Amino acid sequence: MAKGTNDAQLLVQSLRKAYAATPTSLKIIDLYVVYAVATALIQVAYMAMVGSFPFNSFLSGVLSCVGTAVLAVCLRIQVNKDNKEFKDLPPERAFADFVLCNLVLHLVIMNFLG
Amino acid sequence: MGATSVASPAPLNSAPSSFPSLKALKFTTKQQELLIRVSALALIYVLAFVVRLFSVLRYESMIHEFDPYFNYRTTLFLTKNGFSEFWNWFDSESWYPLGRIIGGTLYPGLMVTAALIHRILHFFSFAVHIREVCVLTAPFFASNTTLVAYFFGKEIWDSGAGLVAAALIAICPGYISRSVAGSYDNEGVAIFALLLTFYLFVKAVNTGSLAWSLASAFGYFYMVSAWGGYVFIINLVPLYVLVLLVTGRYSMRLYVAYNCMYVVGMLLAMQIRFVGFQHVQSGEHMAAMGVFFLLQVFYFLDWVKYILNDIKLFHSFLRITLTCAITVGVLALSIGTASGYISPWTGRFYSLLDPTYAKDHIPIIASVSEHQPTAWSSFMFDFHILLFLFPAGLYFCFKRLSDATIFVVMYGLTSMYFAGVMVRLILVAAPAMCLVSSIAVSATVKNLSSLVRAKSKSPQGSGKPLSGSKAAAKASADQSLPFQKNGAIALLLGALYLLCRYAIHCTWVTSEAYSSPSIVLAARGHGGGRVIFDDYREAYYWLRQNTPPDAKVMSWWDYGYQITAMGNRTVIVDNNTWNNTHIATVGRAMSSYEHEAYEIMLSLDVNYVLVVFGGVTGYSSDDINKFLWMVRIGGGVFPVIKEPDYLVNGEFRVDKGAAPKMLNCLMYKLCYYRFGEMTTEYGKPPGYDRVRGVEIGNKDIKLEYLEEAFTTSNWIVRIYKVKPPKNRW
Repeated sequence: MAKGTNDAQLLVQSLRKAYAATPTSLKIIDLYVVYAVATALIQVAYMAMVGSFPFNSFLSGVLSCVGTAVLAVCLRIQVNKDNKEFKDLPPERAFADFVLCNLVLHLVIMNFLG
Repeated sequence: MGATSVASPAPLNSAPSSFPSLKALKFTTKQQELLIRVSALALIYVLAFVVRLFSVLRYESMIHEFDPYFNYRTTLFLTKNGFSEFWNWFDSESWYPLGRIIGGTLYPGLMVTAALIHRILHFFSFAVHIREVCVLTAPFFASNTTLVAYFFGKEIWDSGAGLVAAALIAICPGYISRSVAGSYDNEGVAIFALLLTFYLFVKAVNTGSLAWSLASAFGYFYMVSAWGGYVFIINLVPLYVLVLLVTGRYSMRLYVAYNCMYVVGMLLAMQIRFVGFQHVQSGEHMAAMGVFFLLQVFYFLDWVKYILNDIKLFHSFLRITLTCAITVGVLALSIGTASGYISPWTGRFYSLLDPTYAKDHIPIIASVSEHQPTAWSSFMFDFHILLFLFPAGLYFCFKRLSDATIFVVMYGLTSMYFAGVMVRLILVAAPAMCLVSSIAVSATVKNLSSLVRAKSKSPQGSGKPLSGSKAAAKASADQSLPFQKNGAIALLLGALYLLCRYAIHCTWVTSEAYSSPSIVLAARGHGGGRVIFDDYREAYYWLRQNTPPDAKVMSWWDYGYQITAMGNRTVIVDNNTWNNTHIATVGRAMSSYEHEAYEIMLSLDVNYVLVVFGGVTGYSSDDINKFLWMVRIGGGVFPVIKEPDYLVNGEFRVDKGAAPKMLNCLMYKLCYYRFGEMTTEYGKPPGYDRVRGVEIGNKDIKLEYLEEAFTTSNWIVRIYKVKPPKNRW
């Protein structure tokens, strides 16, 4: 239906316009999240092709991507100046927390990789 | 108070203006309050440790019950052989001839904790034997739990509630029952880990900090390593998140807290081999994953709504996303469940949702006494005044709803439901009851004491001192009711009385009911003096010293752990109960005639048979009382064993009127061999069984394939040797 596609086009346009307004630092974090999720999807597709035999390796690969994506989203939330709950949190502290959590995540992943 | 000037010269030198010269010798109000709080906490810490020491003082420092002996044996192995050997240990001394992969089938948290404490003590040159460390691990962690309860209470309400919570949980009988000195079991450490995880998670939700969330993931890891009850956490936290989402109290902090805890916690949990991949494959863990995906979708939609700033467009976007997400989710769930990839809820946890399930389908789970539904008397026994303080605390929580109080309310309600289904889970409800009750106590006492302090005339207020001007301002405000102050004092005295009764009750319960080691029995003799029955250890040491090292012992599964730990011999079945068919084979052997049982024993290479018999002493947890369970479990796998064969008119009897199969089965013969000649009570015929209260039916027992090897001094444990097969000619 023409109205449907018109709606969809309008939706996409306004989304694009609104997103262009976000600050660059947040866009970088978003890019990182997209990259991590894409890597996870590639791994899932690979597993679908060759089977999941060392299941712990598959899980650690996928979960490291998902984990770091989720942590990046948390960082974005904490650094975003529009969030009133986090206005007292210095961005350096948020980044330090992000680095620490990623460190722990990847240490566990390396133990789990097998 | 005069020591202040000597003890803390720094404030006097650095900031002389903040302390007027008159007050230099006194503590300020803040310092007084801190002193009171710290000393109260220190006393509570010591109290929690000391109240659990009854059995160590009465008997000796030994491990109690059955399961702790396995934990002790594995800890011993860990300290002797190191972590790598322990983690890869295959034990051929239990479940003969199958063996057991111990490294992959236990929760290592408790053993690693005790071994670590042992190593630290040795590092500081305290040459303590590992058994002492094991015996005292549970009281030590109970003390630590009181500290965590204090901080948790402070997080939910205020520091007063925290202090009351710490005091309540230090002596709560529901918790003491599984954490006395000597009860070296997973729960002693697990409840500490549970409360720590919950506290760290609530702190993470309150502050929205990734660091606290990471700490709660580590707390969760410790809990997973310690106890199978971690399933409660992984289901309660998503349920809490769901409730917050539904009631509209969600915030960005919730997203940060849950996501970090879930992903990092799940990864850490999968490092424990016993848990393995259950977090992504088992039905019990799917709620957490479902909520995880729901959160992503929810917050993504929230973000899109925020940046779009236009309702109509957002609604169309919402429709598209929701239909996609719901289809994908339902599809994934149904494919997973239908193909069997996502395993359904295991019997142990399914019986929590449907209490009648175990009785019909899995007799082994139904036979454990700790898994029975809870009676009202148990609730009163284990909780006392907390039973009516809990609803009062719920009222206060609802009056001041916040993220933290919602969590505590949910924890309290769900744990109370499960405590009603299974006796063992009263332990999990105990911290929740203490926390919620502490809110009631603290809020009530605060209100009452502020009423008492309302009059500004006399400075003799009860409770913490307030500055004079504030009290005067309050006094003019509420002069409403006459006798208000007297009523408040009376109510305060009543509250004090209740709390004193609680303390007395808890101490009495601990002393009378929860401090018995189960392996050493005590009774009052004729002259009122105490008689100790140490038969179990006597028998195990006899086994250790008088049988060849590769001897195999067949007994009912209750005693397996103790036989391997103390007797150091191979057993056929033990308390792990992982193989139902093997246990059913033993059950079948115990309930068959002697010649049939002999075939089974030869096939299992059994050298010795051990039975527990209480007829001489009146000890009622013996094998004859457990016999029907042997029949049911054996009959569950081998239909030749039928329960009605052993009953007369549905009644279980061992006297002359008993069923003939009962009178001639192996268990009967082994328990009552030579018992017919024994007089147990004055005025009763020989062969009078003091537990069943009847004279036994078959007194003239002859054993053809076994011979008696050892009977302990009070006839509680009886060991028989299996004769080798006769020569052919």
